Amino acid sequence: MPLRSLLSSRFFIVPVAIAIAVGGWNIYVSLHARGLIAGHVVDAAGRPVADATVILYAHDFVTQAEREHTKTDADGAFRFSDNDSHLIQLQAIEGAHSSPRVTIRLWFRAQDYVLTAPLVIEAAS
Amino acid sequence: MTRRACTLLVLRHALLVAVAIAMLTPFYWVLKTALTGENIYAYPPSLLPVHPHLYNFVDVWYLIPFPRYLMNSVIVSLLAVAGNLVLNSIAAYALTLPFRGRRAVLVLLLSCTLVPFQATIIPAYLITARLGLLNAYLGLALPLMSTIVCIFIFKAAFEAVPRSLIDAAQIDGLGELSILTRVLLPLSTPAIATNVVLAFIWSWNNFLWPLIITRDPNMQTLPLGLARFLSYMEDTTGALYAFVVMVLAPGLLVFLMAQSSFMRGLTAGATKG
Repeated sequence: MPLRSLLSSRFFIVPVAIAIAVGGWNIYVSLHARGLIAGHVVDAAGRPVADATVILYAHDFVTQAEREHTKTDADGAFRFSDNDSHLIQLQAIEGAHSSPRVTIRLWFRAQDYVLTAPLVIEAAS
Repeated sequence: MTRRACTLLVLRHALLVAVAIAMLTPFYWVLKTALTGENIYAYPPSLLPVHPHLYNFVDVWYLIPFPRYLMNSVIVSLLAVAGNLVLNSIAAYALTLPFRGRRAVLVLLLSCTLVPFQATIIPAYLITARLGLLNAYLGLALPLMSTIVCIFIFKAAFEAVPRSLIDAAQIDGLGELSILTRVLLPLSTPAIATNVVLAFIWSWNNFLWPLIITRDPNMQTLPLGLARFLSYMEDTTGALYAFVVMVLAPGLLVFLMAQSSFMRGLTAGATKG
């Protein structure tokens, strides 16, 4: 039967499998692409740092530009809610002290991401 | 199996494995660099990927209009494949029929295969411009919509079909087009697969023609995007090689899907009586 042989042919199965995988990935992306970036800022002793400034840099091959900044709350937590890049850097600044820039590579633009390790503000050397 | 035959078999396979490794090493190196971001000139090089990741592919997807290039390449390649199947099969069927001057046409076609495309690119450009197809998908696909090699692949496949089948179809009242579509093409699936693979890969990898006739960056295909990407990057990091892998993958996929039929199609007619 031609229809059955067509449906069982690799020329049908492979494109359909790819289409399903792409469709599934796009559904996943649309459900997880709200631009949320969250984390904590601590000092060298591990204590939360309140009112520190956290800067989000959008990074590409040749440039990195400051996109936005926010302040930490009393628990040292911060949150960006409209990141639209897939490759960012975060840095926390508190007075004269700052944390190293942390590069975060995302799987897609605006992926929701919660930092697993806090930004650590180090004393100026 | 004698000891001597066994030794020869092992030696033959060892040689084949060595040749296969030599052939596959550049592909492996490109894939390894795409997965790690290691500079290709790093010394000493690492044979195995160190800390592999897929983020270079994400960079390629977003830092240039990759989806647009991909869509352009897919559309152009599909047009080229469709054109090859329709035009080549019709031309090949005509060449299997007896008509006055058939031999001269065959000689002309064969001699045309000796002329490189670069030599005909100016007339091709002028014809495409006169047709108003510059900067259009159809214009991008036009030179590869029929290729002489693929015509001869179809011709060899059609000539391998017993003449009695065609005679029977004619007695049953089928016209020439029906004989082609209902008798010859269903019996020539290896030739169809070979046409699909060759037309797809030639169109997919085509660089010079799209470079000449596209003026709008939105009409560029993947090979042009690769050149543009290289001009941005000008280095040898993972993203460039990730792009190379993403350009190669569809062609490899099409080839692997049609591999067995492709091989049969290339040798069809070689052993006919």
